[in-house]
Amino acid sequence: MAKQDVYIDPMNTAFARAMELSTYAGLAVMIVFGILYLLGFSGFVDMKQAIANWHLPVSEFWKEVKGIEIHGYSWFLSHLTSMDALSMVGVCILSLAPLLGLVAALFRSGGQKAFTIFYIILIIEFAFAILKPIILPGVGGH
Amino acid sequence: MRVKWWLLLGFLAWGIFWSGQALAAEAAAQGGGLPWWAWPVILFVFTFVIGLIAPMSGVGGGVLFVPLSTAFFPFSVDFIRGAGLIMALTSALSSSPELIRKGLANIKVMAPVVCVSMVTSILGGIVGLWITNAFPSGKYYITIALGVVLFIIFVVMLTSKRVEFPEVREQDGLSRALGLSGSWFEPSLDKVVEYRITRLPVGIFFFALVGFIAGMFGLGAGWANVPVLNLLMGAPIKVATSTSMAIIAVNDAAAAWIYVAKGAVLPMIVVPSVVGISIGARIGAKIAVKAKPAFVKYLVMAIMLLAATLNIIKGLKGLHVI
Repeated sequence: MAKQDVYIDPMNTAFARAMELSTYAGLAVMIVFGILYLLGFSGFVDMKQAIANWHLPVSEFWKEVKGIEIHGYSWFLSHLTSMDALSMVGVCILSLAPLLGLVAALFRSGGQKAFTIFYIILIIEFAFAILKPIILPGVGGH
Repeated sequence: MRVKWWLLLGFLAWGIFWSGQALAAEAAAQGGGLPWWAWPVILFVFTFVIGLIAPMSGVGGGVLFVPLSTAFFPFSVDFIRGAGLIMALTSALSSSPELIRKGLANIKVMAPVVCVSMVTSILGGIVGLWITNAFPSGKYYITIALGVVLFIIFVVMLTSKRVEFPEVREQDGLSRALGLSGSWFEPSLDKVVEYRITRLPVGIFFFALVGFIAGMFGLGAGWANVPVLNLLMGAPIKVATSTSMAIIAVNDAAAAWIYVAKGAVLPMIVVPSVVGISIGARIGAKIAVKAKPAFVKYLVMAIMLLAATLNIIKGLKGLHVI
């Protein structure tokens, strides 16, 4: 068999394409706004305060630096004029990339029922991972 | 020629420890009073050096970043794990699409094992953050546990023998029913290589365990995924390492939401680290083609052993045991 005879299942290629595009988008957003933040553009977290407190466990850190308790995503989604919050949006796009890949693979899994079920389970699990901090903020936390 | 590579790798190892030691000493001397801009620069250099070494050794950057940073840097272990997870995720996301297109990574193999390991990876993330936040001395227990996990990784690397093309005589029923097989063009043989996967149920059990550890400590899990896929499930080594990257991408992305929602991902730490390791890994991948793989493997194992020891000592000191 020659190189061109390698068969790649369409599920694989759909997964790869969707994940690749969202990875590029996520990296660009995270790095561009992250660098602007490091260059001194407006940030939600003051860098000097962060450095003074980043030895603390995460819950104490936020109490000291911003006087808040963090559960969920509002801590950065409600401050989208700040460069570090926008950089966090990039992290979220990166963290969504495999989910988008799974959705793309699901639409190409016709005729392979077991994989349709696997992808649906994975998408539900992924959605739960994203929504858990909002719908069950105390579970598993402190 | 050989001497040149020994010198280069020795320099890289020295670079990691020098930057770590210098950082620790400076922070201790000044009470963490370095100018703010120094930290992103230090993180960039530190992760760049890790990025150079990682591709030569076959481990993800996260597995070096987390223990070394825990040992040397003043950040809380929560922020280190958050950054380590995003670094491992970025590496996996960047490499997986190309590997899938070549037929090396197979999401049909990935899907059934990740159905289980994603749940345990999320649980691991929750448990890790809960321990450090619920107990005053929780971070020291996590640091000790990380050291123990590193010892286990060290033993796995020391004892596991990779099989380039394992022979699978008979597939288990589940693997056969799911059609877990594939092919890729192998340039070194100048032909298309076909493979089949077996022992899927046992593999799923191991992936569950590995997912929990990866989520808890913010490590990528290539060190464990690869032996399970290769030695247990019969995937050729290239398929095992490539499919492992796709598994890491999905597991770490799910676990990352826990860290984001707890505020354990700080752009100030994550951005220079991701940029540093990405640039370092690109250069490291080119060096890896010429480097002696056995020597690099032993170098990384030595670093891990040292990091394991340092983490256990740090944790025991925190608990006033020593």
